Amino acid sequence: MQRREFLRELGVSSAAASFLLGLPSLLQAGTGSAMRRKRLVFVFSPNGVIPKHFWPDQTGADYDVKRILEPLAPFQSQMLTAKGICNKIKGDGDGHMRGIGCLLTGIELFPGDIQGGSDTPAGWSMGISVDQHIKNRLQADAATQTRFGSLEFGVMVPDRADTWTRMSYGGPNQPMAPISDPYQMFDKLYGQVKNRQMLASVLDDLAGEFKSVSRSLSSEDRKLLNLHLELVRDVEKDLQTEFAAATKNDTPSHAVPKLAPNIEEQNDNMPEITKMQTELLVNSFLADFARVATFQITNSVGQPRMRWLDINEGHHGLSHEPDSNEDAYEKLIRINTWYAEQVAHMAQRMRDTPDPSGHGSLLDNTTIVWTNELGKGNSHTRNDIPFVMIGGGLDFEMGRALDFGSVTHNRLLLSFLEGFGMPEETFGNPDFCKGGALSELMA
Amino acid sequence: MSCAIVLGLSVFAAAPAADSDDLDPEIRQEHGRQIYRAQCQRCHGAAGEGTEDFYPDPLVGDATIGELTDIISETMPEEDPEECVAEDAEAVAHFIHEAFYSEAAQLRNQPPEVQFSRLTSSQLRQSLADLYQHFYREPHRDSEQGLSGAYFDSNRWKKEKLKLERVDSVVDFDFGHQSPGEGIAKEEFYIHWTGSLQPAHTGRYELVVESTCSMKMRFGHDDRILIDNHVQSEGKTEFRRTLQLIGGRQYPIFVDFTQRKRKTEQPPAKFSLRWVPPGGIEQVIPPEYLRPSTGPNTFALQSKLPPDDRTYGYDRGTRVDRQWDEAVTSAALEFGEVAARELWPQYRRTHRKDSDENRGRLRGFLTELARVAFRTEPSQQVIQLYVNDQLDAADDDQLAIARACLMMIKSPRFLYPAAAIDSTPDDRISSSLALTLYDSLPSDQWLLSYSAKSWYRIGEKGLENRIRQAATRMSDDPRLEAKAMEMFFEWLHVDPTAEIAKNPETFEGFDVQLTLDLRRSLERSLQEVFWSDESDYRQLFRQTWNWTNPNLAHFYGDMFALKDSKSDDASSIVSLVPGQPAPEKVFGVLAHPLVMSHLSYYDTTSPIHRGVFLIRRVLGRTLRPPNVAFSPLNPELHPDLTTRERVELQTNEAMCQVCHQKINGLGFSLENFDSVGRYRDVEQGKPIDASGGYVTRAGDEVEFTSPAELAAFLAENEDAQRAFVERVFEHFAKQPPAAYGPDTADKLLESFRENQFHMRRLIAEVAVIVALDAIEGESENAAT
Repeated sequence: MQRREFLRELGVSSAAASFLLGLPSLLQAGTGSAMRRKRLVFVFSPNGVIPKHFWPDQTGADYDVKRILEPLAPFQSQMLTAKGICNKIKGDGDGHMRGIGCLLTGIELFPGDIQGGSDTPAGWSMGISVDQHIKNRLQADAATQTRFGSLEFGVMVPDRADTWTRMSYGGPNQPMAPISDPYQMFDKLYGQVKNRQMLASVLDDLAGEFKSVSRSLSSEDRKLLNLHLELVRDVEKDLQTEFAAATKNDTPSHAVPKLAPNIEEQNDNMPEITKMQTELLVNSFLADFARVATFQITNSVGQPRMRWLDINEGHHGLSHEPDSNEDAYEKLIRINTWYAEQVAHMAQRMRDTPDPSGHGSLLDNTTIVWTNELGKGNSHTRNDIPFVMIGGGLDFEMGRALDFGSVTHNRLLLSFLEGFGMPEETFGNPDFCKGGALSELMA
Repeated sequence: MSCAIVLGLSVFAAAPAADSDDLDPEIRQEHGRQIYRAQCQRCHGAAGEGTEDFYPDPLVGDATIGELTDIISETMPEEDPEECVAEDAEAVAHFIHEAFYSEAAQLRNQPPEVQFSRLTSSQLRQSLADLYQHFYREPHRDSEQGLSGAYFDSNRWKKEKLKLERVDSVVDFDFGHQSPGEGIAKEEFYIHWTGSLQPAHTGRYELVVESTCSMKMRFGHDDRILIDNHVQSEGKTEFRRTLQLIGGRQYPIFVDFTQRKRKTEQPPAKFSLRWVPPGGIEQVIPPEYLRPSTGPNTFALQSKLPPDDRTYGYDRGTRVDRQWDEAVTSAALEFGEVAARELWPQYRRTHRKDSDENRGRLRGFLTELARVAFRTEPSQQVIQLYVNDQLDAADDDQLAIARACLMMIKSPRFLYPAAAIDSTPDDRISSSLALTLYDSLPSDQWLLSYSAKSWYRIGEKGLENRIRQAATRMSDDPRLEAKAMEMFFEWLHVDPTAEIAKNPETFEGFDVQLTLDLRRSLERSLQEVFWSDESDYRQLFRQTWNWTNPNLAHFYGDMFALKDSKSDDASSIVSLVPGQPAPEKVFGVLAHPLVMSHLSYYDTTSPIHRGVFLIRRVLGRTLRPPNVAFSPLNPELHPDLTTRERVELQTNEAMCQVCHQKINGLGFSLENFDSVGRYRDVEQGKPIDASGGYVTRAGDEVEFTSPAELAAFLAENEDAQRAFVERVFEHFAKQPPAAYGPDTADKLLESFRENQFHMRRLIAEVAVIVALDAIEGESENAAT
């Protein structure tokens, strides 16, 4: 199928969009004195990394950037790598399931009937995930409330609800389904505007139809149709007024992104879809639709075939190969480097975009947390879970490589809360919260 | 203050004065006119329209000339009743009866016309449902109940592991840790339930699934997942979804239920398919709403639509406003989305071989959509505007479909079926039939083909019969069932979703569950009579038994007695079965407890409500509203009186009696049924006096001594039959019968009688009349 411009015909004025949605940002735009908007994004990629080519050898501010993280080098001073974070949650479920299901929740999975390749079967997580917890806190306060609170993006997440495909939880047994279809996400974000614009564009033709139909009716019958025609004209006029008023208040922060048309959700379109979703994410931050997001690229045990890198094998299959398989080893490095490129692209888009609140760029107020369900694929270890952070959303001291040795990942979850200014004593299973938030992280 | 004559009221046995027949009618008429001008006009207006200062109500009603003569003679003119008596009074009675008082005069003075209307909310819902269904199969009536179950000794569909196939009348199982059937391992099995859900009434339903194991439910479409619980996770066992459903539509349903073998402890296997129907409480979905066959994919509009004008007693689409327009817009957007998601892929599958050059397939799809939506083959001009222009405006397929649907559904071609733009007479017949019988548009392939091949042969002999043939074929359809059920409930004055509150101390056990069972029992009686071969209206008063279940039998005793006490498995507790005949206590749907309890107070019966119900709805007579609103006498202040005595006490003044003699006479005959419709012989220690009477339109006086006599009378009485015919006409045509000619109701009544009161044929006849009217002009040279 030909690629066509998806939105060109919509011609939705970016201003119209914001006006119709009644965005709070409209009121704050350009004031400069607005409150800083802290934001947090969790980017997930699956199946572990190759630690040797991932973690810096040198800790501290003077850290080195290894091969996989190379795409992120331009962000070195705004980046923080945290080694030694271990997901120690036990209980039901195989390593992958607990890897993703406990990653942001810090609590066990319920007993259930989903059997992985090893261990016992399991169900959904027993608790809320940290992103949803923060969202709830933000939404509870009028000053930080946004239209959606949080957005759950997916990239090629299979259309299947199971423990391996869900990272975010609204509560016990409440997995949040990520939206993998950019067009569906677009509809969620801008559908209302799109529909109103579409309506405005057909009303004139409709009015013509009312006239031509009414010509064939008796004068008595025509009355009702004429009344109806007046309604059509009224709606048309009102929409014009709305759009005109919106144009007056037009600012760059209300741009509606343009998506390429007819991109099917297929393996080979993964790079394109990742870019589309990134655009939607950046734009929804710009429009202040949400301040928390998850960005889940595939799923735990994900099997994308990165043919655009000349890799034909599925990722998960490769990740089980022993380190001695040099070909697989090399491919895994390249696969993870590709993920790093996606994170870098997201960070770059945020760095290039001024924050509408007036405080620097979006990246200055957003922390991207790139993580994974495993430390290393072939061992299924959940020690040294990859945690790479970029940006200034949390009150962390950035530009460092840290090694915590071996601490529970619940303590990092607590740090996210602390960094967001909403500290808690425990999060998830309290048994894994001893010691509290990791104090070294804070600025 | 209005003390002028209260017409429309009568005294029993008012015989017309015999000597009047000798007079020249024209002279008498003139004489009456003169007296009226001199003595009556000042208060009643020149044409009986009333005057604001003296007597504001118009002089209209259904009293006979004899009754009018008596009233005038005795009470008029108010200041001196002696001034106009005997022949003068009679002349005035003749004059006003002929000039404006009688129903016939009203029709003559204001011949009703077929009113130009847009689609009503119900018609919009139904039309969109059929526009959708057009791309699949047409539904068919299925009287079998329950869902089909396929039980596998495996954790998935494996043909060779299929151990058991059966119809489960309800789906409510607790297998525990046991095997669900012979040859099936208890540790691991898979059950696949399929069929359809067919609700009786339109409304919001909450579907509830309780499942302790992995489960997936698709609903409405074989690829539309409503509940996905692929993962069994401890504690997550209940799933609720609320949907707007259309009565009579069959929603395909597919359940995959899997108990998986595992290393850890298994939960006991439990699965229950339940719902909360509108106005009801949660219950296992009863068998009569389940069909073991899978119907075609179905669309139910979820957008909310504002209610329509009901001032005439039936929905009319005679008003347009902003709220309605906005609701149509959201309906159009909703349909566009589902068209893009479900209909377009379906069309592509079935048109794989068509050329797709220049988006030819999409063009074909949208053209077909326009053909069905506009009820005629679209002209080149229509295709240009609704299809080609929309494709040009949007390169994206989904967007093009959304635009085209928005245009089509908001178009006057769709919203105003009566405009019938560009349509052929054959189109108009089919369109009229679908609108009358289903509130919808023609979408079934066979019906559409009638237009294509000019099947009705307009202008040739036998046209009416051919229309009748099509109408009859269309009558055997679940879509008719829903519209008929709606009509019956309106006729019986029962709001299916209303809560009926009764004193829990006096009527222990009369709860929401019981009223829900009563509703089902009433529905079932109506359905069975309606769909029986005879479809005999009189059976509605004659059937001597009720549909029952253990709950109803327990509360109502004899009236709902079970024929045999069955086992108490889930299905026999829920299922309705024919009860034991109780000829002295059950009179078809007339005295059904749901009807009786609606027409009662919290503690006591209301003979007045029952009487008014019988006069207005069942007998189709007119009644003026009371001059002042009264509250009923408090039973506690009259502890020794029966309800009948209390009502008599309150209405015994002459002023009240003119109306209440009519009302009470009918209402009292149902006094054997208490406030919850339970049969009783005594009240307050006194035997029930169920005697009463009625004066027919023809002036015949009838007396009853029991509800049995009342029921027997109603079954045969012409007033009641006429009222039913008119109600059917108005409900199905959404227009008054007189709009199709002053004798329409008479002719229909006659054919109703000739057809042994066959209700489905009556409806088909209504559809024929309306369809013939739709091609008026074309058909005139056809009859011979």
